[in-house]
Amino acid sequence: MKERKIWIIDDDPIYQIIMKKVINRSGLFSSVCTFPNGKEAIKSLKGIIQNDEIFPDIILLDIEMPVLDGWGFMDEMAILKSQINAEMQIYISSSSIAIEDMERAKNNSDILGYLSKPVNLEDLINIIT
Amino acid sequence: MTVKNKIKKYINWILSKPKTIIYLVFITLLFIVCSDILEQYRIEKNRKHFEMNNTLEVIHKNIEQSLNNAYGSVLTLTLSINDNGIPENFDSIAKQVISSDNSIAIVKLIPEGVIRHIYPLKGNESEIGLNILASKVHQTAALKSIKNRKIYFEGPFKLTGGELGIAGRLPVYKKNKFWGFSVVVIQLENLLKNSGINSIDPSKYQFQFSRRNPITSKEDFFLPMEEDLSKNNFISTIIPYSNWTLYLIDKNPNSLYASLITDCLLGFVLAALFGILTIIILKKTTELKLLVNRQKTSLLKKEKKFKAIFDQAAVGIAYIDSYSGQFIEVNEKYCKLLEYSAEELKQMGIQSIIHPADLKKSLLHLEKLYNGEIREYSMEKKYLSKSGNTIWVNITVSPLWKVNESPTNHIVIMENITKRKNIEKLANHNESRFKTLFDHSPVGLWEKDYSEVKKYLSDLNLINKSPEEVTLFLKNNPGALKKCLSLIKIIDVNNQCLIQYAPKTKSELIENIDIFFGKESVFSFPKLLVAICTGVHYLKLDIKIKNPKGEIRDMHLIYRTINGYEDTLKRVIITTDDITERKSAEKTILNSQQKIESLINTIDGIVWEYDAETLKFNFISKKVEDILGYSAEEWLGNPTFWEDHLHPEDKDITLKYCAEQNNLNLNYDFEYRMIAKNGDTVWFRDIVNVIVENDKATSLRGIMIDITKNKEIEKDLNDSFNLASEQNKRLLNFSYIVSHNLRSHTSNILSIVDLIETSESEEEKEEMIQLLKSVSDSLNETMLNLNEVVNIQTNVGLVTEDVNLKQYLDNTLNVLSDQIEMKGVNVISSIKKDIEVNYSPAYLESILYNLISNAVRYSHSERNPTITIDYYVEKNMKVLQVSDNGIGIDLNKNGHKIFGMYKKFSNHKDSKGIGLFITKNQIDAMGGNITVESELNRGTTFKIYIA
Repeated sequence: MKERKIWIIDDDPIYQIIMKKVINRSGLFSSVCTFPNGKEAIKSLKGIIQNDEIFPDIILLDIEMPVLDGWGFMDEMAILKSQINAEMQIYISSSSIAIEDMERAKNNSDILGYLSKPVNLEDLINIIT
Repeated sequence: MTVKNKIKKYINWILSKPKTIIYLVFITLLFIVCSDILEQYRIEKNRKHFEMNNTLEVIHKNIEQSLNNAYGSVLTLTLSINDNGIPENFDSIAKQVISSDNSIAIVKLIPEGVIRHIYPLKGNESEIGLNILASKVHQTAALKSIKNRKIYFEGPFKLTGGELGIAGRLPVYKKNKFWGFSVVVIQLENLLKNSGINSIDPSKYQFQFSRRNPITSKEDFFLPMEEDLSKNNFISTIIPYSNWTLYLIDKNPNSLYASLITDCLLGFVLAALFGILTIIILKKTTELKLLVNRQKTSLLKKEKKFKAIFDQAAVGIAYIDSYSGQFIEVNEKYCKLLEYSAEELKQMGIQSIIHPADLKKSLLHLEKLYNGEIREYSMEKKYLSKSGNTIWVNITVSPLWKVNESPTNHIVIMENITKRKNIEKLANHNESRFKTLFDHSPVGLWEKDYSEVKKYLSDLNLINKSPEEVTLFLKNNPGALKKCLSLIKIIDVNNQCLIQYAPKTKSELIENIDIFFGKESVFSFPKLLVAICTGVHYLKLDIKIKNPKGEIRDMHLIYRTINGYEDTLKRVIITTDDITERKSAEKTILNSQQKIESLINTIDGIVWEYDAETLKFNFISKKVEDILGYSAEEWLGNPTFWEDHLHPEDKDITLKYCAEQNNLNLNYDFEYRMIAKNGDTVWFRDIVNVIVENDKATSLRGIMIDITKNKEIEKDLNDSFNLASEQNKRLLNFSYIVSHNLRSHTSNILSIVDLIETSESEEEKEEMIQLLKSVSDSLNETMLNLNEVVNIQTNVGLVTEDVNLKQYLDNTLNVLSDQIEMKGVNVISSIKKDIEVNYSPAYLESILYNLISNAVRYSHSERNPTITIDYYVEKNMKVLQVSDNGIGIDLNKNGHKIFGMYKKFSNHKDSKGIGLFITKNQIDAMGGNITVESELNRGTTFKIYIA
């Protein structure tokens, strides 16, 4: 089985616990990391670039977050993009049903999809296959 | 000639300097007088000197004579001495001597210097025995006498009788041997008497004689001294055989000067008199000379004037030989008129310039003049100029010979009247032309004579009275009015009148004077009379007449006096124009205009017209008064009324828009605001029609419709729409909030339930159940929050009251005191005790708590936290301001969601993202507003606007 790293960027601690549980059970990923907001995740990405470590394969990104929200994270990502030599699949996972958020996600080519919460096993399988 | 000239010149020079002359004359005379006086003085002085010398000489001679006599007496006495030196018969000889010479008082014989014999002895006894040679007094003289062997007179000295006497001593030698002295004593008084000094005028001269004192050798004077000898006023002579000097003293040495002074004065006065006389004479001469000069100038002027008059007279003047008709003198004007030079005329004679047609008549007049039948004559006649033109002149001929004298010369004064003659000709021509025009004019013309009317009015004393007075008078005196009417004379009428008034004959019209001012126009005639009274020469009247056919016609009447007849009113032209048709057309037009105008005025909008050329409004309908409060006149009276009353906010854009549209020549329709008289803003919709002629806008017409009400409704509608939109937005937002917040919990619950179902161990199940519990707690909290928000938004339980701001602030600070103290926050409040706001107490508490707790929570870790709370009024809104120097918020990124629900901007553990959301909802519910200014790492300021 291929080693897959997954990042969950979400400020809801309960959601983080749940997702960790689901991912662990699925056995689809070799490692799972959680970040309370976009800023922390960007900090971590910068660390990977600096230390030439392995980038995550999949990122589940929430929109509504303090400090740096999902869109803010995408903006920072765009700046770092040239330094990232791996392909990262970024999915939005949000409880928002606002159509504008969905539209915005669709119009951003770096975002592969929009997952409405709750994200379950099937969803995870779908995105890696 | 030159000499004469020189003299003349000299005289002139002298005459031109009268003062110098006077001085010269005066000084010359004075000199002559002075030298004459000096000469006289010299002569007088010589004469006086001579007289004195003579006098003195006579005295001298007489004294010398007396002394000689005395000498004789002494010799006689000496004879008494015999050869032996003994005197014989002394007494008898002495007696004889004394009796023969009455001046001798005593005789003495002094042998050997001792007095031995004296006659008469009586009274002189004391002298016997006196040795004079030993006497100091006599010694010198005695010795001198001995030495000279001559008689020597000595004295005078006092005799025993008390009188003065002198002694004459003769040394006597016997046998060539000094014997002694023979002495006679002469009484001085007698001596002087004999000398003739008594004959001297004592007022003029004084006689004096002196002796050199032998002891003191000083001069002793014997007569009392009346005059001082120091002056050079005396003459003297020495008497021989004595030491005596005779003096003759002039008592009045200055008498000469006195006469001299008188002479001098006389001379001076005479010189002065002569000087004055000279002045008078000279003055007279100068005056005469001036008079001559003046008369000369006056004569010259007159001559020049006459010459000028003659030469430059505006009329031609000729001086003619009456017999030959030759010109003797002609002036410039005369020459100019006839175009000949003076020389040419002098050669020609008068006959050749008179027009042949007038020659006979002229000669006839001249003949009468020669015969003395007339003294002068004037006539108008024609001359022929050099170039052959005929000149009309008016001549006046005056003879220069007296009555009954034979004719000599005469003067012709000629005035050019060609122009007048031409005008007369033209006037005749004009008169006939006027007649033609008059007769054939297309308007009715009446030539009338109002002179009688004016006279009558003058008799009534109405001329120059005010129009009101005249009108009143005529109103009260209908008889006078009628009389006036009857006094109008019609001189002539033209053909058109005959057509207009359709009389049967011309004379019928002329006789029917009432035609103008019949009962149809009863008010018009007084107006005309007023015009006459006030000296108006031109008057227009619209009248109605009834023509002989019985038709009522409208006439336009113009009264005008003919030039030159303004005063007499003998000729007046009345123009009458039948305007009946025009009047009816006018009336129709007026009616339709009135109709249109009333129509326009009923339109509920301001109808206007604007002249694009004069850039002025030329019509504004009356509605303007209802809508704007200004009258149409006010609008039309101010060229910039419209611009001036545009709403300031709309002015620029409106004017710009109008200018653009006008350039396009297209009709347009726009809206703007104006300010009414009462200050209200009025909305207008202006529909503009551009009237184009020859591709150029000539005028603009339009209607301004008051759309203020529509605008208000529109605004209300807009407001409601905005409110609805806002509420809709908020609702949507709320629904998002609700769905988002609930969904995040429900999705968590779903996931947990799923995990529980698939869990493999009890332990895991338990863990999940715990998780589920915390989710349900969160859900509950969320529900509570939402409930609160819903409550705020629906204003449930909202009670407002006047609350004291300071008190609430203090309460809040008290609640937060632990945190404030822990963080060491410095709270600065400028809120005064007495400030009260009408607000919901619960909201105010909540708002203050949220804002201040946020400020404390998000303080900057690197500086002393400070919170400032202020209260002020800004644009009629009360403002509560809370500022901090905390971490701040990046408003560029987060500004749009700062007041959103569950929007958090930090990872702070207490950050829930609900406080500001609730705060904003509360402030909005109170009808206020909240704004935020913030800068990252600098601080944040919230302003709460309280309605």
